[in-house]
Amino acid sequence: MLDRVLAVQYTHLTLLADAWLAAGASGFGIWRNERPVATWPNDRALAAEYISSQLRMGSSIVGELRVAGLDTQAMQLRLDADAVLLSTMIEAEDDLQSLTAELSSTQDQLLAVYQLMQSLRRQVTLEETLQSLAREAARLLKARNGFVVFMAGDTQPLVAQEGEPALDDALIWRLFWETHASEREVLLAHGRGTDPVPSHVQDIYFTPIRIRDVIVAGLGLASRSGSAFTASDVRLARALADQAGAQIENVNLYQEQIAQARLQAEVELARRVQLSLMPQDTPIIEGIEIAGRSRPASQVGGDFYDYINPPGRPFIFTVGDITGKGLPAALLMTMTRTALHSKSAFQPDPSPEAIMRQANEDLYDDFTAMGKFATVFLGQYQASEHRLVYANAGHSPVIYRPCGGNAYLLRAEETALGVLEHMRPQNLYVKLDPGDLIVVATDGMTDVRNDTDMFGYDRLIGMVDALADRPAREIVDSLFEAVERFAAGHPQDDDQTLVVIKGVA
Amino acid sequence: MDIKSHTHGDANVLELSGRFDIHVAPQVSNWLERAASATPPLIVVSMAAVDFVDSTALATLVQGMKRCRQRGGELHLCGLQQQVYMIFELTRLDKAFTIFADESHAVESFRDV
Repeated sequence: MLDRVLAVQYTHLTLLADAWLAAGASGFGIWRNERPVATWPNDRALAAEYISSQLRMGSSIVGELRVAGLDTQAMQLRLDADAVLLSTMIEAEDDLQSLTAELSSTQDQLLAVYQLMQSLRRQVTLEETLQSLAREAARLLKARNGFVVFMAGDTQPLVAQEGEPALDDALIWRLFWETHASEREVLLAHGRGTDPVPSHVQDIYFTPIRIRDVIVAGLGLASRSGSAFTASDVRLARALADQAGAQIENVNLYQEQIAQARLQAEVELARRVQLSLMPQDTPIIEGIEIAGRSRPASQVGGDFYDYINPPGRPFIFTVGDITGKGLPAALLMTMTRTALHSKSAFQPDPSPEAIMRQANEDLYDDFTAMGKFATVFLGQYQASEHRLVYANAGHSPVIYRPCGGNAYLLRAEETALGVLEHMRPQNLYVKLDPGDLIVVATDGMTDVRNDTDMFGYDRLIGMVDALADRPAREIVDSLFEAVERFAAGHPQDDDQTLVVIKGVA
Repeated sequence: MDIKSHTHGDANVLELSGRFDIHVAPQVSNWLERAASATPPLIVVSMAAVDFVDSTALATLVQGMKRCRQRGGELHLCGLQQQVYMIFELTRLDKAFTIFADESHAVESFRDV
């Protein structure tokens, strides 16, 4: 550092020397290790008699000022003062130097981290990310081997390695577990510590990788080319490990998002399949008006309704609700609807009671396996009698309103499909003369809640009375509007289904 | 929802309270599954303190009842409040279950099993 100060400040030092010479000194010089590095007047050796003062950097002596031809106390004091000033300059120069070095090393590291990020950003899977991290870290730190281990939660433990000859997996895992336990990086070299470093390996550095403060992985480097790992290497490796932690987390989140999106797409598909199973057209049947609608909740659910109108045979409709939500309910809904549909359409003389009983026999084991049951209402219009014959397997609410009378609840006579192995439904009858009305809903309509209250059966029955004179389609629309208004913005958490059949002249 | 259980004679009694819905159904289901491994499984579900049941809760009870019957046992219900009883009536699950006024009657009935 003395040399550097001499080089930079030579003209100022010459002024200092001139002042000494003018004051009567025969010579002025700067010495290091007992050798002159600069003397004034130039190229003239200093006389043997001189006074001197040491130049210091911190506690170490870096040189000496010498003055010949003046040996008073005052001159010694003046020389000491010059030495202190020069020492301060030397220290300042040293600080500047190390600051510059630090800055350029930081810049190098930033560049390295940036390069790593660029490289990692292109990786989509965790395996690719780890491999890329091992490769880039080895390249940036001039190590022969780079390796990364990853182990979190239930995921498969992973090791990625770059460089030949590869390190033993057992060694890598031991480094990981030691780091995991001590929560510290390790630096191993031959002859240091108790850990045997393989003979082909010069030294090993291993640092933990944290995600949200939890050690889930580690980055290791072995055999730096040229020299052992330096403090600056360690800083860079730490920076890489920090960056890698963030990147691993990103990749994991991305993978989760993909899985989530895939599941959502499947659920959406299931929803569409379900909606396509609902009647696309309303049959025209002499003597009755038919209207229906089903509004699924956000998840796939278990409500359905269906019209079966085979040529030359009586019209049948079904409304059902499978307990629970999600794909199992959706699957059973499809099975139940289909069982009822095919029996209604293809049996020579389908009676509601028989269809229901047979559907239960068909589906009972499936319901048991899935821990669910289905409430179903099945009605068959007998045009010649102007009546509806129906069987009700635990379904509610079903509301009947004779023309001009009061609406009331039709209670189920048998329990739901899937509850009892052998059920005994009955055929029951209601008149469907002009103006008579039957409303079959699911509990998604009546269980709607707002902040203070539940829609409930009484409100539904009251509305059926109030709307009874309207056409079937208007009754359906008005009831859906009323339920939505009542919910006052509360999210719909269950399927809502409604079928209205009205006798007409 | 609070889940308590005790034994009464040969029966395992599950005492439920509050809302019995989709949120507590898995817990109840697990308990029933364990209790149904007795030979024969004799279970009483006491619902005196339950003020609400949803369809998932009903399905859970049905599932438990089926398990017990499969293994030669029985699951009885007791102490249903009126609004809960109404739901059993509307779905006609009152035909599927034997429902007793109180725990002692429910346990007593197992003598014939």
